[in-house]
Amino acid sequence: MLILGIESATMQVGCAIGGHEGVLALFESCRGKRHAETLTPAIEFTCRQANVTLDEISVVAVDIGPGLFTGLRVGLATAKAIAHALRVPMIGIPSLDLLAFPVRHTSRLIMTVVDARRGEVFYAAYRAVPGGVQRVSPHQLGKPADLVNEIEAGREDVLLVGDGALRYADELGSTRGVEMAEQWLAHPSAAPLVQLAHAKALREEWVNGWELSPLYLRKPDAEINWITRDSR
Amino acid sequence: MTMLGNVRPHRPVNADTMVLGIETSCDETAAAVVMGGTEVLSSVVSSQVDLHARFGGVVPEIAGRAHVELITPVIAEAIVEAGVNDSRIDAVAATVGPGLIGSLLVGVSAAKALALVWGVPFVGVNHLEAHLYASFLEDPELELPLVVLLVSGGHTMIVVMEGHGRYRLLGQTIDDAAGEAFDKVARFLGLGYPGGPAIDREAMLGDPEAIRFPRAMLNDGLDLSFSGLKTSVVNYVRKHPDVSTADVAASFQAAVVEVLVIKARRAAVAVGAKGLCIGGGVAANSLLREQVLDVCTEDGLRAFLPSRSMCTDNAAMIAAAGWYRLRSDGPTPLDAGADPNLRLPVIL
Ligand SMILES: [Zn+2]
Repeated sequence: MLILGIESATMQVGCAIGGHEGVLALFESCRGKRHAETLTPAIEFTCRQANVTLDEISVVAVDIGPGLFTGLRVGLATAKAIAHALRVPMIGIPSLDLLAFPVRHTSRLIMTVVDARRGEVFYAAYRAVPGGVQRVSPHQLGKPADLVNEIEAGREDVLLVGDGALRYADELGSTRGVEMAEQWLAHPSAAPLVQLAHAKALREEWVNGWELSPLYLRKPDAEINWITRDSR
Repeated sequence: MTMLGNVRPHRPVNADTMVLGIETSCDETAAAVVMGGTEVLSSVVSSQVDLHARFGGVVPEIAGRAHVELITPVIAEAIVEAGVNDSRIDAVAATVGPGLIGSLLVGVSAAKALALVWGVPFVGVNHLEAHLYASFLEDPELELPLVVLLVSGGHTMIVVMEGHGRYRLLGQTIDDAAGEAFDKVARFLGLGYPGGPAIDREAMLGDPEAIRFPRAMLNDGLDLSFSGLKTSVVNYVRKHPDVSTADVAASFQAAVVEVLVIKARRAAVAVGAKGLCIGGGVAANSLLREQVLDVCTEDGLRAFLPSRSMCTDNAAMIAAAGWYRLRSDGPTPLDAGADPNLRLPVIL
């Protein structure tokens, strides 16, 4: 069973192909934000390097965010169209989960932090469990200061990972008991996406393309303004 | 199924060539299958009007979110309605601009992905050029040169089409689009959204000569301006709070239509056009249709008034324009993106 993984939730865009043998081929680029230009040729390239034709793909996995809205939509639209054309199911995995998986070999509490722009971050907490990680908090949106408060209240050693952690490294890194993960782990990768999706696919935990939506965690501005206007 | 990297042997583009068109430039998610550039086998349009109505205009982020939800179901419906299999599609065309970037990218991404899986060419289409091709969908025998008055919430331009891919921009709005003026005035008058149909309805009950609103730039060439008109409507109503809304709507509409028709007629005379065509959402306005017809009869021009569904944004026009572009320029590379400010490719 081969999985095509598509990842475009942050400044990075990537894709990977893998299955029970692990990741067969991986493409990643974080040069600029030309997700739409890069993604389709990247999938074509990755297939060719893995010596796989698209009709051998059994499941299309995609990072559903949270992250940058336009990038997410490029990934979701591409993934849904491919799954539809191949008549295969889909598996959606949150960006914050993808960040936690590669750093699971730690005894610290893992907090993954994705830059949400406008002075805010998306974040969630994870604990290592045999074979993977388990999320122990909801996916949240808040200011870096909110995250600092949570870390301090937890009184536990924490490993921070993600582009949001890097962006607010001054503020977050000086918190007691905090260690920062390496820079090359700061973007969710299509490699853990394929691995996590493969495990889910073995359990047939997939959905139809039309059931999959991005995890935005933030309402459109117009709706926020509308609600505040209504309550005035 | 297809082999990756082996695009199907390049088939000639002819009357059998079937193009799947995808349109997501604004607030309609649309897909259509068109054969030979003219025969519409299906045209599905999923409008988001209800999602944007309470905001009185299109909200880009809400539009982008809705496109992601709707894109594959709409494409699937278009193919089923056309009564063909995926394997019969020879090319996938999508709007690459102009429009809202977050919306455009959904359609472009889906189209490129389908082209990749099916091993067929992708064709990037200019939305404005597609509006010109909408007229050919209903009348492939249209005679050239043809003057097209393209009026919607996003565009207001007068173009002469001299041949396939040969256009000249004769005039355009220097500020608001005509449809935008309709939306703003309708919102100000409390008539709801979208403004075009609302004003059209209300105007039927009013006197178009009740108020003499200014006709901007009437004697200066072929460019247009609507922001001053909107301001005078607002000022007039503030000064005369008891005025009948129907009279304001009718007088405003009369002013917009008079300017549009005079300019389009002047353009047709200037280039020796054989016909005059209207397109875009405002082309559904009943007064505009009536007056274009009158002018054409007087001047011996062929009037072309496409049906409302072909005037407003749809994917059949994208598939049609895609067929012509594929025939003239070949496929668009898969590393193409979208351009929110794309202009009509005009000859000088
Ligand atoms: Zn349009």
